[in-house]
Amino acid sequence: MISEVAQRRFREIVPPLLDDAYSLAKWLSQSPTDAEDIVQDAAMRALQALSTVSVDRPKPWFLAIVRNAAMTFMARERRKTMAYVGDMTDLDALDLRQGDDAPPNPEQALIAHEDGQRLRQAIAGLPSPLLETLVMRDINGLSYREIAEATVTPVGTVMSRLARARAMLGRTLRTEP
Amino acid sequence: MTDRDADQLLLRLHAALDGELDVMASLEFEREMHDDPGLAAEYRRLAALRDAVHRHAPREAASQALVDRIAALASSAPPAQTAAAPTATVVPFGRRAWLDRSALAMAASFAVLGLAVGAGLTSLRTPLPSSDVAQNLVSDLARAEIAGQPFDVASSDRHTVKPWLADRTTVSASIIDLAPEGFTLVGGRVAVIDRIPTPTLVYRHNEHLVALTELPLDAKGVRAAGGVETIDGYHVARWSDANLAYVAVSDMDEKTLGEFVEAFRRGGGPATEPRRP
Repeated sequence: MISEVAQRRFREIVPPLLDDAYSLAKWLSQSPTDAEDIVQDAAMRALQALSTVSVDRPKPWFLAIVRNAAMTFMARERRKTMAYVGDMTDLDALDLRQGDDAPPNPEQALIAHEDGQRLRQAIAGLPSPLLETLVMRDINGLSYREIAEATVTPVGTVMSRLARARAMLGRTLRTEP
Repeated sequence: MTDRDADQLLLRLHAALDGELDVMASLEFEREMHDDPGLAAEYRRLAALRDAVHRHAPREAASQALVDRIAALASSAPPAQTAAAPTATVVPFGRRAWLDRSALAMAASFAVLGLAVGAGLTSLRTPLPSSDVAQNLVSDLARAEIAGQPFDVASSDRHTVKPWLADRTTVSASIIDLAPEGFTLVGGRVAVIDRIPTPTLVYRHNEHLVALTELPLDAKGVRAAGGVETIDGYHVARWSDANLAYVAVSDMDEKTLGEFVEAFRRGGGPATEPRRP
């Protein structure tokens, strides 16, 4: 039985965050219907949790639950191999230098980015740890510390993942036709 | 430059882009960009990429069916609020990467944090009589100046300030580049007016600051005759356009504040941006 207090907290915290939750779930699952299932699952977990915890920062707290619900869902459905298994060292190692293939050219980049479909595909193609970091930052608007909290990751790792995600997007957009 | 230095510089570049640098680090970084055209070009390239992500991969709305299902989870007693109901009770201020800086910076930031939260709580508990809006904003600026921290996000890049404010307020801020007119954008912060978190832009002119708060037209006490009044030694100008009401508070002289208002109303250089979806 869920207490009245938990229900009240839930009504204050969760509804304003549903757009963020849905957007994160959709990017992680790559499916609108799966995203709805994930958000509903996350909301039920949140309601349970609110019986025992009080929440200082609702947004990273709820998005962490959404992220975990998405990981559970994806593992169960096996639709996409999540990159959380195995050694992440390589992925987190800083190798950000652009090399000689990236002369900064804002104009060219701007033109390329007008192709929204390509950009969305490039985002969807990011490895999961980079994808969730980029989505939480640029779509959900979380701060570095909030992302670190939501993903249980050191801030330094969040920063390098974000830089890597953007570098990969830039490379993909420059190289693919 | 070693690889490690290059990595650090790149991380700082992203942190600057995301509004995560504190004031002094921002200042230092802006100097570095000024001295290094390559760095500045890389910043512009990353900013263009980020803006493209905002444009082409916006936050999506949950369907009404999902919203209803979630509301039904906790709807035993009173009717559930709809997802669209604005809740001004949560004003996140936790976004600081600078608490581990010098003791002075820490003290200053705590002071601002306390003041900001305190101001927020005060206005949440007691709705302001309409005439107090300007007084409240004057006190805000005075306290912020004393604390040495007149903004919560330090950036002269309106593409950094805009999303920072958009994440924290329900008012879509007009951010106008007035640098050519001599008023440089230095940052932004959130003021809580009549229970509404509202965007406040901070511009600098010589050694003086002007804090411009943008409010919904239906907010209490925002409609007032034009012209400049003086409160506690600060000059206050109020005006409105079709979308928003504006209150500018400044320690600059009346004539200069008038020029600022004039420039802002004219729209400065580039036009305002549409609200990020």
